Amino acid sequence: MRNLFLWVALAIAVIILPNLVSFSQQEVLVFMTINILVVASYRLLTLTGEWSLGHVVIMGVGAYASALVTKELGLWVPLGILVGGLASALIALALSVPLFRMKGFYFLIGSFAAGEIIRLLWKRFRDPFGGAKGIKGIDPMPDFSIGIYQFDFFEPVSYFYFSAVVVAFCLWILWRIEKSPVGLTFHAVHWQDKLAQASGVNLRRYRTMAFVIASGFAGIAGALLAHYIGTINPNSFDVEVMVFVLTWAIVGGTGTFYGPILGCVVLTILNEIVLRELGLEQTRPLIYGLILILSILFMPNGLESIVQRVTRRKDAK
Amino acid sequence: MTALLEVQNLTMRFGGLTAVDGLNFKVEKGNIHGLIGPNGAGKTTTFNMVSGFYKPSHGKVLLNGEDISGLPMHEVANRGVVRTFQHSTLFAELYVLDNALIGTHMTFRPNLFAAILGLDGAARREALDRARSSLEFFGLGDVEQELAGDLSHGHQRALGMAVAYASRPDLILLDEPFTGMNPEETRQMMDLMRRLCAEGTTILLVEHDMQAIMGLCDNITCMSFGKFLAEGGPAEIRNHPDVIEAYLGGARHVA
Amino acid sequence: MFELLAQTSLNAIYAASYISLVAVGLVLIFGVMGVVNFAHGELFMVGSYVVVALYADRMVPFFVAVAAGLIFVGLLGLLMERALFRPLRDNPLGGLVASIGFLMVLQALAVLGFGVRMEHIPPVTQDVITFADKISIPVARVYVIVTAIVMLSALWYFLKRTRFGWALRASAQDPEAAALQGISVTQTAMIAMFIGAGFAGMAGALTAPLISINPHMGHSVIITAFIVIIVGGVGSLEGAVLASVVYAFVHTFVTTFFDGVLADITGLALMLIVLIVKPTGLFGSADRA
Repeated sequence: MRNLFLWVALAIAVIILPNLVSFSQQEVLVFMTINILVVASYRLLTLTGEWSLGHVVIMGVGAYASALVTKELGLWVPLGILVGGLASALIALALSVPLFRMKGFYFLIGSFAAGEIIRLLWKRFRDPFGGAKGIKGIDPMPDFSIGIYQFDFFEPVSYFYFSAVVVAFCLWILWRIEKSPVGLTFHAVHWQDKLAQASGVNLRRYRTMAFVIASGFAGIAGALLAHYIGTINPNSFDVEVMVFVLTWAIVGGTGTFYGPILGCVVLTILNEIVLRELGLEQTRPLIYGLILILSILFMPNGLESIVQRVTRRKDAK
Repeated sequence: MTALLEVQNLTMRFGGLTAVDGLNFKVEKGNIHGLIGPNGAGKTTTFNMVSGFYKPSHGKVLLNGEDISGLPMHEVANRGVVRTFQHSTLFAELYVLDNALIGTHMTFRPNLFAAILGLDGAARREALDRARSSLEFFGLGDVEQELAGDLSHGHQRALGMAVAYASRPDLILLDEPFTGMNPEETRQMMDLMRRLCAEGTTILLVEHDMQAIMGLCDNITCMSFGKFLAEGGPAEIRNHPDVIEAYLGGARHVA
Repeated sequence: MFELLAQTSLNAIYAASYISLVAVGLVLIFGVMGVVNFAHGELFMVGSYVVVALYADRMVPFFVAVAAGLIFVGLLGLLMERALFRPLRDNPLGGLVASIGFLMVLQALAVLGFGVRMEHIPPVTQDVITFADKISIPVARVYVIVTAIVMLSALWYFLKRTRFGWALRASAQDPEAAALQGISVTQTAMIAMFIGAGFAGMAGALTAPLISINPHMGHSVIITAFIVIIVGGVGSLEGAVLASVVYAFVHTFVTTFFDGVLADITGLALMLIVLIVKPTGLFGSADRA
């Protein structure tokens, strides 16, 4: 009962929030929503113990796919977004063949290399990827009305509501996967792969599954981004962005489902409220770098461990 | 009548070192078969080849006449051969019940779409029942909500076997199950193994504890320096001059 | 045609020189400390900026500036060892993550200190050596080649003929055994870090007059370094040098006959192939990954 109340309160907060903040902050809300999906999908991948450095590039694959399919082929934008997710999932499937022959550190470097190759392909081929300049003039979401609310996608608020719904749905699916026997198998693959194998688990299949699913959702996030900003280029998905995602995951902690989301939200708020107010926006990479270092040194279990400690104390009372 | 498991001319070479050399033995269905030998005899390597962890350099592993040599571990497991690991290998961070649930993986294969849509309730319940019954068999029914890493040593060993048993395999490979057990725990474990065997599960075990081996096994194969040394029932092996020599002589070569 | 081949080869040898300095530094750090230094490209960048600050802005003689670059970046490496890698010794993934954080910090500091635009500093010398009328190499590049050969030889001598070098090699092979022998893990880590970082900084300093300098130049350097050490074998210094030569030749030739982006793609593809077929690298020995 308490949970239901919390969810309703959260939903109300989400609906009211954009109307309380300035225009630029509304934009930030949109980006944060999309980033939540990126980092939550990244977590699914780390569940099997694999840390990839190509996740943001795969997000970009979804962005490029959706942009091209709506711009060149005139596909309806919502379908385009789904195509984006599918494209990312398929690329991930293809990449899993070479990449999952590598373990641990080698997988990290291999995923980084694969990501760089994809980015270089975007840069190299003006046709169809637009080269270094990327793709401009991507179709926005078409406006529509649901009776009580007119979605005017010129407004960030509308796009915020739209992406919030999409992201919430995706998070729900990710949550269900994690709580299912498949999710348990992912944990098994991570912690004791030999024992899992002895119980008949096909490691390669499950690692691939996690990779493909995580990538699919990253692709949807990428497509959401593309149709909001309207332009994308290879630099939108470079190492710096990957480092941000990594920072959110590590600062928040990857032991729980909400950990990385918490990291993303906290750091976004930090960025907005602290940095922007103090006019230190330009120092964002510096601050993020320092936060990453301090996190890994002094809070290796992430913010979620603090939350867990607090809630455990409350339960103990 | 084909034996359940047959090992033919099994050989494993690591670079210049031959760990197992031309090993032959058969495990009959319904038996408890022991694999013994001094340290470094190649018992664990043999286990690893049978379970699919290593691909044999030479020779064959036959399961019910079918050649399973070199198949990956999960394929071997899927054919009804499950193994335990020497060093209390468990999912220490997971609950005991979850550990057992992973053991049911093969029998109640997870279905992703059904899980997302909530259609797999029946399968999940059955898997849970199976996991619970496996835990009960090994006397772990009360601790299912504990973290596996928090269990006592004896319970951890039992859990390892419960995970293996959860898929009701035809053949269980037990890798030194009695290590670190006191006489009482050993006695209890021997009872459990007899019950396991009575249920129709064939057991192949590697073990150093001679009392357990002699008390449990129908048939014993002894190895030395990677080669076959002797085979027979407990009485024969106990009095076999080569076996005695291997253990006395082997003491100087303990790793 | 011969002239083109010869010229491209000369260009490749030049590239191999500074690439091998960087790669050897990275392998040294990984081999002795077991940690992947993602900030290695930024250490190269810092070396370049030291030369910008001293040689370009303050008229310090070039080779003095290079030496300063070597020492300054070496000290930066010591800072990394003390602040990041030592506390995270039991957590190599954590060390890697910390080095990623550090590279962000270095990049940001470079932007703050020097701005985002590209720097081009005056050349050390305009002299050019020419062979057979068509094949030439700027003397500035010869400086790089010669320095690289000298420093790599010095390192080889240090590792094979001195006590410290022996300690480093022992630590790389088997840290526990080395510790039991009385070799201080901390000391060897510090030496490895100073040399490893210093070499990267030196490479950046030496090539500063020959390339365009900007705060993000470390990105391509680290990618190249990874390609080279994977291809050469993660634990192998000789492999790093050989792989640097192989990579430099492949990259330079593809760039000359096709284009730079294709060359980058080829390099990465080469690394992926090695990772798939023989992850320990072409000349790989037992690694600590």
